[in-house]
Amino acid sequence: MRTYVRMAATVICLFVPRLELVTAVVRAARGGAGTGGHEGREDAKSLLGRALALAPLPGQGGFVGEVSGTAEALGVRAGMRLGEALARAPRLDLVPPDPVGVGEAWELLARALEGIGARLELERVGVAYFQADPLYGMHGGLDGVTAATRRALDRLPRSRGEEGPGGMDVRSLTMACSRARLGAGPTRLCALVAAQRGPGRRARGRSGAPRGGHHRSLHLAGAASARRYLAPLSVELLRLRRETNELVDPLRRLGIETLGELATLPRAAVSDRFGRPGLLAHDMACGHDDRLRERPPREQVEEALELEDSTGPALDHALGLLLDRLLARPERRGRTLRALVLSAGLVEGGTWLERVVLRQASVERERIRMTLSLRLALLPAPARRLALRVEHFGGPDVQQRALMEEGRALRLERLREAARQVRAGAGLEGALRIVAVDELSRVPERRFLLTPFS
Amino acid sequence: MSRPPASRARLRNLPGPPPGRRRRALYLPRAARVSAGAGGVPVEVDGRPIEAVRESWLVEDRWWSERPLRRRYWELVTGDGRNLVVFHDLESGRWFAQT
Repeated sequence: MRTYVRMAATVICLFVPRLELVTAVVRAARGGAGTGGHEGREDAKSLLGRALALAPLPGQGGFVGEVSGTAEALGVRAGMRLGEALARAPRLDLVPPDPVGVGEAWELLARALEGIGARLELERVGVAYFQADPLYGMHGGLDGVTAATRRALDRLPRSRGEEGPGGMDVRSLTMACSRARLGAGPTRLCALVAAQRGPGRRARGRSGAPRGGHHRSLHLAGAASARRYLAPLSVELLRLRRETNELVDPLRRLGIETLGELATLPRAAVSDRFGRPGLLAHDMACGHDDRLRERPPREQVEEALELEDSTGPALDHALGLLLDRLLARPERRGRTLRALVLSAGLVEGGTWLERVVLRQASVERERIRMTLSLRLALLPAPARRLALRVEHFGGPDVQQRALMEEGRALRLERLREAARQVRAGAGLEGALRIVAVDELSRVPERRFLLTPFS
Repeated sequence: MSRPPASRARLRNLPGPPPGRRRRALYLPRAARVSAGAGGVPVEVDGRPIEAVRESWLVEDRWWSERPLRRRYWELVTGDGRNLVVFHDLESGRWFAQT
């Protein structure tokens, strides 16, 4: 009888702190600083040392986005109302957000990791997980996998040109890669904590080689060890997962400050009070985790147009052109479009991005265009660049008819054969066809004609 | 009443009959023996007595041409329960059945 020993899974977390802020600051620095890459980067670095916050996105309320460390020290938090943030830090500088640049940088980072064979779960911008175990054979154990990950990240900025596909500044990618941290642990939460506490750029030598290893790894055997490790940590960590983000404040109001306190609560009581997110948080605090939701392999199908400060009808026309080009792309292979990303570079600086999920996957140009036009009307300023990307394809276009309708062709052939046989037996007038000429005529003999069947 | 252009086009596009065969219109009028009562109302068609008159209508067409068409139609029910449509050609004064 054989005995199978189930090895504990190891999750690796890639954590890029403040990716959205860094990207926006680099873009802002490029607009205001000298043209040399080094100069721009230094300028961005000095900017990041100030009290900064991402300006609220248009149409999404007055909440600031990510904040710099200095702003955080002054009591400003991401998601805080702008008025409150300015009251706490009167010298707070607001940076226009760059959602397009962030999306591109994050996608490039994700692709770099997928390039070493990792299947990623993208939790949110700046946090991704993948299972390390399947890669051990390829790269040689956990150290091999993390070394390969670090190499892929280091190689990434060099492999790009001066600018990314959407005008993204590669300097932001360089900064993002250098700030990226890796952590490994038995669950997502453990891996994320390890990444947050792991060696960052400061712990690396001048040559870029890590001093204390490529990553921080937690060697915890089983859920009980993970629970013990997480017990003293703050419930604030639950903010890092989308589903449990909303639980932090209610838990604190109830006097629950650490994950250990959360883990000691009866599971039924947590479920009763907080529902499914509560159960998930309880599981996380107890050192349990569910399977990673790995994203399927993706294709980059995008069309973009450079414009001249376009608004209104010119933008609509550009949208029509982009849609035509996208539908004509051979990579579509007859599939319908399910989700699209409409993005624009704004004349006043910054970028704009809208994700559009079609209620029904479709290739009907007018229907898709109408849906996109409604979103395009939300554009906060004239655009100098408009891009349309397919985020998800739907199934094949089932409403498309076959080129050869075989059933109909067969029926017609049988009918012709039957007519030939009738004519052979009953004479030439044996098979006739009724043709409607003018069905609504008031004179009956003008309505239908009998013609020979041929 | 003129024929709509669509129907003219449809007539033109009909495939021509093979040699020796021709197109035939359906519902061609055939002559009928009709006895009319007061006001021109049919009382007997081809020897069948008429039980009831369901409807009557007038068709006037091609009045602008040399062959105008003026017909008074009658939809009738015979004594044995049949439905008949006959018309009185107001130009020639003859009766026809058309069903």
